[in-house]
Amino acid sequence: MIEAPSTIDIASLLLQVAHITLYILIISAVLGLLLGTSLTMITVKNIPVFKQLTTVLSSFTRSVPIIIQLFIVYYAMPPLLSNFGINMSNLSAITASIIALTLYHGGYLTEVLRAAYKAVDKGQHEAADSFGYTPIQKFFRIILPQVVPVALPGWGNALIHLIHDTSLVFALGVADIMGRAELIAAASYGMNQIQVFIIVAAIYIIFTFLSDGLVRLLERKTKKYKLDSGLNTGGA
Amino acid sequence: MLNIENLKLSFGEKEVLKGVNLSVDKGDVVTFIGPSGTGKTTILKCINYLVEPHEGRMQMGSISVDFKKINKKETLKLRRNTAMVFQQFNLFKNKTVVENVMDAQIAVQKKSKKEAYNKSMELLDKVGLSDKEKDYPSKLSGGQQQRVSIARALAVEPDIILFDEPTSSLDPELVDEVLKVIESVAKTGVTILLVTHEMDFARKISNKVVFMEKGKVIEEGPPDQIFENSENERTKQFLKKFYSENKEVLEVR
Repeated sequence: MIEAPSTIDIASLLLQVAHITLYILIISAVLGLLLGTSLTMITVKNIPVFKQLTTVLSSFTRSVPIIIQLFIVYYAMPPLLSNFGINMSNLSAITASIIALTLYHGGYLTEVLRAAYKAVDKGQHEAADSFGYTPIQKFFRIILPQVVPVALPGWGNALIHLIHDTSLVFALGVADIMGRAELIAAASYGMNQIQVFIIVAAIYIIFTFLSDGLVRLLERKTKKYKLDSGLNTGGA
Repeated sequence: MLNIENLKLSFGEKEVLKGVNLSVDKGDVVTFIGPSGTGKTTILKCINYLVEPHEGRMQMGSISVDFKKINKKETLKLRRNTAMVFQQFNLFKNKTVVENVMDAQIAVQKKSKKEAYNKSMELLDKVGLSDKEKDYPSKLSGGQQQRVSIARALAVEPDIILFDEPTSSLDPELVDEVLKVIESVAKTGVTILLVTHEMDFARKISNKVVFMEKGKVIEEGPPDQIFENSENERTKQFLKKFYSENKEVLEVR
């Protein structure tokens, strides 16, 4: 007879590997944001060739299930790239996960950011241009502060998707929270499966709650800009 | 101080400006009148290169450019010597009233924050809005927004201020407050180019009126000549139509 571990034991076993999940999550979130920003710039600046590549990437990442994307990066990319003389044969499962999630998150964010950028009134560009702002001054002083509040809700959603999707990297053999949960459940022949996965759910709820809190905080900070829809610009 | 030669522009097939010549002296108040869609606003936006003419030369103070081969440096120079007041105000929505007036002084003219603030408050006082310094533009009425926008334009001490239909998107009862401010600006001796549909105001304020139609300057001259003694059939027709329509409106009221 195997002694089933207690809830507290399971939770502490799972939290021991939480840093792996967080590591993958935070790195992909940051890199994904940078990627999404660069792709958005390519799209709005209409840079030929790169723009078409961006469209392909963003429609690919949005239409292929994330688990397939993980497999493609981990199993298909190294042999494919070796044809071009790029050796990735010792690509670790964690790195592969980060690459796949970054592409996925970046592709998704491109859509969010592009819409937010387009939401900034053309007159704001004209006004800054008319005073002789350089493009960089215009972007950081005027445009970006107005893009952020519009993009925040969409970014928050993308972040939640990303958190959920980190639970799939165990399929590549990463010993993250989900990976260990599978092991614990298997050790008791699945007897405590429900218990284990409810604890996993609770951990993910906490992650999501924290990310939501972050987005809310940023929303509160940018609320003062009061970006009106144009309906009440005519007069008070 | 401003000389424009042979300014040409088309949007696709449509020729918007068909070779416009214009010369403006320092301190002039030049008003552009004419039917809608004749390129009055477009001329203003060519001067600070917000729209890009295909051909033409321009000389403004010590800057002279050929629009066929204008570069980024020249563009910035033109823009930094002019300021524009827009039909839709276009105040920076992410900045408070006083920050709107300060921002170009800090970003473009590299003034210190304190210096920019003092100047801005002085100008806000002039347009009667110093008590709104900490409000965001979305809280102000259209007339107040436009007055802030005029203060913002004055703050950079431009050689020329371009007013692009400054009262056209205002509620009728807010037009006067803005016109009063423009009038006081005109009295300071700064060079002004103004596009407007307020004929009486144009007549009162300007020392030169330019009547445009279909991308061409039809007639230009002092207000009395244009409004009273025009020799040109088109000018007379336009003004007659304008005044008779306004009269009808008054009669209906």
